[in-house]
Amino acid sequence: MTLQNWLAIHRLVKFEPTPHGIAKLLAAARRNLADARVVDVSSETRFDAAYKVILQCAMAALWANEYRAPTSEPGHHLTAVQTLPKTIGVASQRVVVLDALRKQRNLSDYEGDSVSAAAVTECLNQAETLLEEVTAWLARHRPDLI
Amino acid sequence: MQRSLSSVLFPEYRRRVLGLLLLRPDEALYGREIARRTGLPHGTLNRELVNLAQVGLLKRERRGNQVLYRADPGCPVFQEVASILRKTSGLADVLAEALTPLAGKIRVALVFGSMARGATRAGSDIDVLLVGELDFAEGVKALYPAQEVLGREINPVIYSVAEFRRKHAADDPFLRDVLDHEKLFLIGNPHDLAKLAGDSPAGEI
Repeated sequence: MTLQNWLAIHRLVKFEPTPHGIAKLLAAARRNLADARVVDVSSETRFDAAYKVILQCAMAALWANEYRAPTSEPGHHLTAVQTLPKTIGVASQRVVVLDALRKQRNLSDYEGDSVSAAAVTECLNQAETLLEEVTAWLARHRPDLI
Repeated sequence: MQRSLSSVLFPEYRRRVLGLLLLRPDEALYGREIARRTGLPHGTLNRELVNLAQVGLLKRERRGNQVLYRADPGCPVFQEVASILRKTSGLADVLAEALTPLAGKIRVALVFGSMARGATRAGSDIDVLLVGELDFAEGVKALYPAQEVLGREINPVIYSVAEFRRKHAADDPFLRDVLDHEKLFLIGNPHDLAKLAGDSPAGEI
């Protein structure tokens, strides 16, 4: 599905990003990544912080393409993750994994399920990679925004 | 060719139709939709549906000029047949096959939650616990194709043996909940699970 298709079904809206806005979002992502690396807190909190990095990177990727997933719409996490192949060219096999992390986050936040060490490790790895990728993508395609 | 238990018990068409409808007792589907989801030709499928409705396993409902089919939980053998399908082609076989490439890394794999209890609703996910030396992405990717076959989302929970033991020893509420309720084993058996938990008798975990 193209970004225009997502726009047509109102899961995305057009948006004009600013360098300040992008910088703020990516600074938040870096802060969350640092928090996710703290080993003295619970797996659930580390997972949550790493998941936030993924979400913020996916949002930044949408902004960089001049779209936004309105947070008033249900499923904006899903939209942000699933548009990654179209925004910054993330392989669809990785989106499968990112989407599983999204579902894990729902289960731990809303049902109190515990988070396994394997899920924390994966979430942290994905967060690190995605932050690098979105930063590199901006430098290459939208240097005006950094 | 190795024949599966369910293929010996039920002819192919019947197995696919019952696997679709009996594990979704709250969904009524048009013949055309059943054909699409089971990948069966419409004509032959129709005869099968009529037969199954005649013996009372399915209910027929007319809506306009179309006919809808759904499982009839009031059928005296509904629970038993649904249970066989859950343990075979309708669920467990599909998941076990999806995990085959990882079999060497998995000590125990099981379905827990509403799917294992047979208390599913239309939107219920399939919860799977995997214990072994595999990473999260491996488990997720292996099970992903089965989502489409089963028409449900699959949520794997992946523990290393050490983490499983630690959580079991700490009486982790989530793991206790999984272990205390019905399970459907995909890889390993209750004895293997007891061994993982530290050699306590199977009945105690």
